[in-house]
Amino acid sequence: MSSATAKTNTALRRSQAVPFLETHDLHKRYGGVHALKGVNLKIERGRSYHLLGENGCGKSTLIKIISGAQRQSSGQVLIDGHERSDLDPIGALEAGIETVYQDLSLLPNLTVAENIGLTEQLVEGHGRLVRPLKVGRVRETARRALEVVGLPDDRAFMSTPVELLPIATRQLIAIARGVAGRAGLVIMDEPTTALTRREVSHLISVIRRLQDEGTALLFVTHKLDEAREIGGRGIVMRDGEFIEEIDVTETDNAEISYLMTGRRLELGRYRAARSNVDAAPLLEVERLTRGKGFEDVSLTVARGEVLGITGLLDSGRRELALALAGIAATDRGTIKLGGERIDVSSPAAAIDAGIAYVPEDRLTEGLFLEKPIRDNIIMSVIDRLRGRFGLVDRRQANELTERTVEDLKIVAPDISASVSSLSGGNQQRVLIGRWLATDPKLLILNGPTVGVDVGSKDAIFRIIQDQAEQGMGVIIFSDDLPELLQNCDRIIVMRDRRIAETFPADKVDEKALYAAMGATARIAGAA
Amino acid sequence: MTTMSEATTDAPAAGEDAMSRSTLYKGRAARWMVRHPAVFPFVLLVLIGLVVGTINPFFWQLANLFDILRAAVVPGLLALGVLVVLAAGGLDVSFTAIAALVMYPVAVFVSGSAPDLGIAPILLMGAVAGGLLGTVNGILVNVLKAPALIITIGTQYAFRGLLLTFVGTALFTNIPASMTRFGQLALFRGTTQSGLNVALPAFVLVFLAAAVVTWLVLNRTLIGRAIYAVGGSSDIAARLGYNVSRVHLFVFAWAGMLAGVAGIMHVTANRLANPFDLAGTELSVIAAVILGGARITGGTGTVLGTVMGTLVITLINNVLILVGVPSNWQTAILGAFILLAGLFYARLDRLAAGR
Repeated sequence: MSSATAKTNTALRRSQAVPFLETHDLHKRYGGVHALKGVNLKIERGRSYHLLGENGCGKSTLIKIISGAQRQSSGQVLIDGHERSDLDPIGALEAGIETVYQDLSLLPNLTVAENIGLTEQLVEGHGRLVRPLKVGRVRETARRALEVVGLPDDRAFMSTPVELLPIATRQLIAIARGVAGRAGLVIMDEPTTALTRREVSHLISVIRRLQDEGTALLFVTHKLDEAREIGGRGIVMRDGEFIEEIDVTETDNAEISYLMTGRRLELGRYRAARSNVDAAPLLEVERLTRGKGFEDVSLTVARGEVLGITGLLDSGRRELALALAGIAATDRGTIKLGGERIDVSSPAAAIDAGIAYVPEDRLTEGLFLEKPIRDNIIMSVIDRLRGRFGLVDRRQANELTERTVEDLKIVAPDISASVSSLSGGNQQRVLIGRWLATDPKLLILNGPTVGVDVGSKDAIFRIIQDQAEQGMGVIIFSDDLPELLQNCDRIIVMRDRRIAETFPADKVDEKALYAAMGATARIAGAA
Repeated sequence: MTTMSEATTDAPAAGEDAMSRSTLYKGRAARWMVRHPAVFPFVLLVLIGLVVGTINPFFWQLANLFDILRAAVVPGLLALGVLVVLAAGGLDVSFTAIAALVMYPVAVFVSGSAPDLGIAPILLMGAVAGGLLGTVNGILVNVLKAPALIITIGTQYAFRGLLLTFVGTALFTNIPASMTRFGQLALFRGTTQSGLNVALPAFVLVFLAAAVVTWLVLNRTLIGRAIYAVGGSSDIAARLGYNVSRVHLFVFAWAGMLAGVAGIMHVTANRLANPFDLAGTELSVIAAVILGGARITGGTGTVLGTVMGTLVITLINNVLILVGVPSNWQTAILGAFILLAGLFYARLDRLAAGR
């Protein structure tokens, strides 16, 4: 105890003299792209920082340089006042910089204990590999770290390969690795995407403890509410440049959005909620049931209506989305579209019936990242573009793609650029564009703005509203409540695999929705 | 609204959402199997032994069991090399060519220039020569950044061409005395009731030693873990500070070294060096490793599993004759076993993942 206090004290004393990390005039160029344009950053011990900015603003580039994954084109990195401009991954770890990557960067085939505990020994040997492995220490380090994040630390769990664990558990393991060593700085890139509220709360208490011990934290997040919960400084970046440093608890969403985008965005509802639903609904789902997924789900969607469906992770919302898209089979119940019973036993059947489904995870379920934008967009309508000899008609394909790119305001050098070269928001627009190309009657979006910045969110919402305006029925599955409240006419809350309640979206607030979801611990909101 | 302080107080109970015991421990038996894949080939060994032994009791005679062990040495050494490369996410098919390119010149050189050389320096020569040839594979993989399979198909032809063009094509029978002696050295010698002489050849120990050392490297050194890390995902491993190109160099050198030793052992066991030997056995060696639980996609596999897998394949190749299965059928049965293993492990992975 006393040694811990002493350590904290020395850490505090030192912090007054030199910041833990500084960057001076950091530039990064990728070919012709100038990703960082002279960024100066100062990170003090024992404090939290939030890197805020739209996708493509240079946040990830900055983090890659600090964590040693990439070298800057020019500029300096100082750690403890000493110049360390030549960081590689091992050098950054030696300097006490731990990174929790957005993709988690866990080795899928290694065990929980190895993923957490190996780094320490690798760093001790300065990356040299021909050294004996201290098996007991790997386990010991892992046990300590697992305890910190609240995961079990028994032998069976620790020797499980990480790939066999659910995504939320993996995210906690990645965090455990970040806090396993006595880091001076822990960088966390979107660390809470898979976590439940309760786990987030626990994480925040872990963060507070780290801060008390003198560790600095640097977050990258799109979740402003969580940033406020953690508190600290917000570093706003736009277009590769440092814009402003703010106090995250003192600044409201509208102001932060303005700083990030340079534009004032609508944060209210896009249009008045419609209460008068058509006499003959577009979609009628009756008593739909899927084994352990969901039970007795009946709902309707009118033409031009935007319906929101939310619920906790295990509420059956994901399963329902997959069933409507023809990806998951159902046991009982009927689905009618435009008054006629339709068959959605396969994704192809659902597309034929006029249902378009934009999946949750665009990277693994949706897009062919290395393929051109054109190929991604025409993917679902390839039959329609068949020309002579059954080959794809290039001209038509290009026209369709160009129209979509223009309609959805996708920012891309040209239509043959690979999707992986686009920012997250633009990737998501390509995915939506593909499904709009099928001329669907019903558009189902699952988590349409996960990992998308505010500016792109706005653009995606406008697309959704446009489509609804033209008479398309839209269902949004999401746990982003503000997004549902802004866009939907009605919101259905699922709980324990059934529909719990239906609310008119303009007469309900987050609190009531959370209550209906049965969420026990909720992160205090922005309000 | 629930306040933050309440949220944090119940936080220690966080292990109930995604971390609930039921999700974490689903498919626990399957996970245990995933970590101990040697169980599967072991069960196969026992089953084959029981079936064949019941039909023809000769199976259980020491002479036969020793023969099987003896036959497992060369494929076993090669399989250990394949395992190490596979664990790092690559696939090596040049090992038979390396073995041949090492064994033939070494035998010719020693009997011509240093006929009195002992077995230890000969083995060392084989190991070093094989290791160097393997390093060539490693360098090519690092420099060309092409899949290891393609590169080792290339070097397989290159090495073999080198041997046949520049070294020789003729059968070489004038084996150095120390190799002949080592081939006949027995750990155990006895006479059966039927008056048959049986001997457990000492060179089985070479396989055993190679297995133990490979196990130590994979499980008790940092590079061993780095090998699996790179096999899991070389991009992520690089980001975490593992030196990926050094791992590549190491695994191919290790596989080459084992292939070199295997070549020497092949000559020792057969008392002749045939430059055309071993070619074409690559797939059955790889099959042995897969049968032992390594995934063809890399990042997995154990030494014990590989040893067991090798024994299964050797067993099938050697004992079916005892129960009167014609040799053409043996090939088909071998194929069936490999299919069975493929099915089993695919199913196991799904079970373990709770899908």
